[in-house]
Amino acid sequence: MLLESVQFILNLGPTVMLPIVITVIGMAFGQGFKKAFRSGLTIGVGFVGINLVINLLVTNLGGAAQQMVTRFGLVLNIIDVGWPAAAAITWASPVAAIMIPICMLVNIVLLITKCTDVVDIDIWNYWHFAAASATVYVLTDGNWLLAILAGILYEVAVLKIADKTAPMVQEFFGLEGVSLPTGSTAACGLIGIPIVKLVQKIPGIKNLKADPDTIQKRFGIFGEPLMMGLILGMLLGILAGYGFDKILQIGVSMAGVMFLMPRMVKILMEGLIPVSESVREFLQSKNFGKDRNLTIGLDAAVAVGHPAVIATALVLVPITLFLAVILPGNQVLPFGDLATICFYVAFIVGAARGNIVHSVIAGTIVMGLGLLMATNIASFHTQMAIMAHFNMPEGTATISSLDMGGNFLNWIVIKIFQLI
Amino acid sequence: MMDRQKIVLVACGTGIATSTVVGQKVETLLAANHVNAKVIQCKITEVGSYEDQADLLVTTTILSRAYKIPVVKAVNYLTNINPGKIDQEILDALK
Repeated sequence: MLLESVQFILNLGPTVMLPIVITVIGMAFGQGFKKAFRSGLTIGVGFVGINLVINLLVTNLGGAAQQMVTRFGLVLNIIDVGWPAAAAITWASPVAAIMIPICMLVNIVLLITKCTDVVDIDIWNYWHFAAASATVYVLTDGNWLLAILAGILYEVAVLKIADKTAPMVQEFFGLEGVSLPTGSTAACGLIGIPIVKLVQKIPGIKNLKADPDTIQKRFGIFGEPLMMGLILGMLLGILAGYGFDKILQIGVSMAGVMFLMPRMVKILMEGLIPVSESVREFLQSKNFGKDRNLTIGLDAAVAVGHPAVIATALVLVPITLFLAVILPGNQVLPFGDLATICFYVAFIVGAARGNIVHSVIAGTIVMGLGLLMATNIASFHTQMAIMAHFNMPEGTATISSLDMGGNFLNWIVIKIFQLI
Repeated sequence: MMDRQKIVLVACGTGIATSTVVGQKVETLLAANHVNAKVIQCKITEVGSYEDQADLLVTTTILSRAYKIPVVKAVNYLTNINPGKIDQEILDALK
């Protein structure tokens, strides 16, 4: 009976399931029914919005990508839907919501046992941990235990990386008492930081420098999703051999996707704020012992405004597009996550002490690997989207993202669980 | 007396995550103190497009360059350490 009702709720799809689940979780954290239900419903509505935008993206871009294959033999038929969609797909997974209390408990246990000093109050980015769970859930045909284990493994790795990078976050970014346990930033840091150290030893490159202000002026357009969407859309229309009318249409549609997607995710975010505040208050009310340098784990968004990070990310936008075309084995058409590159390079820039030339070199390698990993696990990514009841048009139906698909930690976790 | 409505930019790295939290706090703060102002939420890289019409920039992230308008750093809203100080800074900046 219980199993049947759980199955019934899961089958209703995320727009109905999440309002119910978030209402229950909210009430468990001591919110009244009215407030909890309001949050839940807001999240459901966020989902409705995201579904509309993904549909717009996949329908438009899918057709153009297909045309490019026939015209130039450019096999870029996996669409990068971007982290906002990846996060939404994750929350839609049956295992995701339960990962909120689990991740919090794991954090508390690690704090008590002194395995970490990070008090991770950034609930929103628990989605990265939940993403590992959701992927393994698909991989194992719905094994809850292994899925939860995968998420915990991912969380432990991210917290450890956040511990190791905390001194850099405080010295270079000047964020006192803060660490950044954000999944994508940590994963790219894990491979990017050693590459930076290596690059800084190469004679000739070692002393090169670039000025962030000049780069921000020259590449500023890549920092505006609205304009970037328009230009990329029109470019794809041209490559697909469309007529002038259709080139203009796809340009405006893609500007729409880039502009609207964050708006929709913002609605999701608003629904999550009450739960997030409850968890924060709960974690901060606990005393994990004096004489310890605890750091508060925040979203890496607090660091990415740094001039060198912005400059590096802007330069990497055209580089990533170019890589996608020339890199053998890549099938991902970068789009949604071109706006997220600043997160991937935050730790790299920190490790390079703000040297943009070194950061761009390391970033290029990291983005290349990201494209290949995103290609490699696109089938799971797509299957998760289908389970989340997102509309996938026939024929063009493969999606991935640089944030979740091209994430080194997620990829490793998947490879481990593929062996089991 | 009709004051011109002031415009407050709330910016973070994504224009989605931390700026939503801070944006809500700023809106509540402005309403509670009867300040006639509107909040625009954006990415730090989009600030340039709004800068000329805005009166104040509230940001959770590091400043990527110098701005023409006053800036209040709001990381404390996220860490919840002494948020009252930021409340005051914002209100003072809009006087």
